[in-house]
Amino acid sequence: MSDVVVRCSGVTRTYQDNAVPVVALQGVDFVVKRGEFVSLAGPSGSGKTTLLNLIGGLDRPDSGTVEVDGVTLNDLSESELSDLRLHQMGFVFQSYNLIPVLSAQENVEFIMQLQGVAADERRERASSLLKDLGLASMAGRRPGELSGGQQQRAAVARAIVTNPVLLLADEPSANLDSGTTQELLELLRTLNERQGVTIITATHDPMVMGYSKRQVNLRDGEIVEDNSSRAA
Amino acid sequence: MPLKLLLQLSQRNLFRHRRRNIMLLLAICVAVAGVTVMNSLIRGFQYDMQEAAVANLTGHVKILAPGYLDDPNIEKSFALAHDWQPDLPADQLEGWAARIRIPAVIMSERETRGIQFVGIDPAQEHISFIGNATYTGERLASAADRRVVIGKELARQLETAVGRRLVLITQGLDGLNREAGFRIAGTYDAEGTGLEKQFVFTGITALQAMLDADVVTEVSIKFASHPKEFSIKQVFVEFFTGLDVLDWQELEPQAAAMFVFADAAVFIWFLIMMGALIFGLVNTLVTAVMERVQEFGMLRAVGMRPGAVIAQVVLESTLIMAVGIAIGLLLGWGFYLWLQDGIDLSQWAEGVELAGMRSLLVPRLLVEDMVLVAGLSLVFGILAALYPAWRAVKIKPLEALRR
Ligand SMILES: Nc1ncnc2c1ncn2[C@@H]1O[C@H](COP(=O)(O)OP(=O)(O)O)[C@@H](O)[C@H]1O
Ligand SMILES: [Mg+2]
Repeated sequence: MSDVVVRCSGVTRTYQDNAVPVVALQGVDFVVKRGEFVSLAGPSGSGKTTLLNLIGGLDRPDSGTVEVDGVTLNDLSESELSDLRLHQMGFVFQSYNLIPVLSAQENVEFIMQLQGVAADERRERASSLLKDLGLASMAGRRPGELSGGQQQRAAVARAIVTNPVLLLADEPSANLDSGTTQELLELLRTLNERQGVTIITATHDPMVMGYSKRQVNLRDGEIVEDNSSRAA
Repeated sequence: MPLKLLLQLSQRNLFRHRRRNIMLLLAICVAVAGVTVMNSLIRGFQYDMQEAAVANLTGHVKILAPGYLDDPNIEKSFALAHDWQPDLPADQLEGWAARIRIPAVIMSERETRGIQFVGIDPAQEHISFIGNATYTGERLASAADRRVVIGKELARQLETAVGRRLVLITQGLDGLNREAGFRIAGTYDAEGTGLEKQFVFTGITALQAMLDADVVTEVSIKFASHPKEFSIKQVFVEFFTGLDVLDWQELEPQAAAMFVFADAAVFIWFLIMMGALIFGLVNTLVTAVMERVQEFGMLRAVGMRPGAVIAQVVLESTLIMAVGIAIGLLLGWGFYLWLQDGIDLSQWAEGVELAGMRSLLVPRLLVEDMVLVAGLSLVFGILAALYPAWRAVKIKPLEALRR
């Protein structure tokens, strides 16, 4: 098993905004090794989300290649990408992570249900994870009955319960106060250190950057600083 | 994608927007109940009309001499062996009647009318209206009864009454006119006056004697089961070589056309109701999809396949349809039970009679109609979901997440 989980080579992505080309990424080379906790930093509009989406197989580059766990995403069909997201990735979005009509427990079980995990195992894994994340008493509540911090923790539980190769979190703290942000970051750090989950977050929150081991700065679609390459 | 999960999501989403979906549910119930009640009335009309046509001395199948239909007279007749019986299992046969039916002139002391003179065996006539009519005076006692029964309306027009004598003139087999006097045994009361003015009955052997001819002009046969199903006609075609074997559709083409039209009316009515409903359904489903753009986007992002998204929208539509159909059918059935004694149409008796019906419209609820309504409504529910489902699948996870 290779040590490299993500390899982006010469990735560019240009959007058409009302026929005006907007360059979101230009020639990004980027490697993430297994077990890393990386934060993509940079001002709003610098291309963080775009890069994260390309790595997550939610979007395709205009040129360059994206590899995840040895698989080149460029070659995959839409439904293959869909399956890859289901089986290899965990996503935590800025908001709207949970299905409103399902309880926290059911939301955490949901991806496993899509994967076809047996009911007993699902229940067992979801309950124990919610317990670990301090949400045991909230398991029966629907997202609308949870606080923002509880929702994001449930989203993290949903994302990691399937043991993904990669956890991608886009502005996970954007809607949280600093206390809850800290709790969430402690959780991510624990997952990274104890279970070796590879994490990439996109954020402009200095607190998030502080918790990650490696910080990659983007500006105008280019990597301008990478403190691991500096260390290397 | 486990169906159970999809079902759970659909059901909860329907519950989540209770008010909107209850309105939709009500609309479906009303449409289905309305279609069901209307169908039962159309069927009631259809069967009533058909039964009236069959009872009108027609039967389901009639055997006639060739040419009788175009020119009904005693020359277009045939002999029937005295021990003849239709070659059918008893449970398929409601009855049969051999008759002579010829044009004749009837005269009272005051008036003269042209009528159909019909010789019958009263014991065989439970299959026709005359066997079931109400009488003033007496019925014919036997095939040998030499008296006549006439319609109430004809009695009024001839200004005659039970017990008085009438003279009938008709043509014999030899082409010469025969004239004979008959005493009125009774007057019959048929639904409407059309039949009462048209038919005068006497015993068949009495009429044969008057005509000097041991023949009949028709054999009318009524089956026990629903006439749609018969291919039994063929049995008679083979048996009565050289004679015409006609079914009621051929004998009563107008009633037969109405019968077919009623079949079509059931569909037309259904299409109108469902057509109106489907706009509401599509609209509600599109709204339900559009307010869940982010949810669908997120579901796609985490790896739900497009097919599962389609399945979810279709399932939501099917689910609400199924519940609406079930309640609607129950409601419709309740209405049907309430109307079961029939609707009195006698106020509009003349129009009703023109349509060939009796004045009491008794609804008929056919299981096959209910199954059809349920099945087609479900199909409509699925069709209505296709456009909203397509809208849901078109949602790009990226765009949904950028909101
Ligand atoms: N779907 C899109 N259509 C047009 N322009 C887009 C789209 N997505 C992103 N962009 C543009 O691309 C650039 C990078 O965006 P993004 O990756 O979202 O940056 P960040 O996450 O760092 O704020 C921005 O200028 C943004 O306006
Ligand atoms: Mg962003």
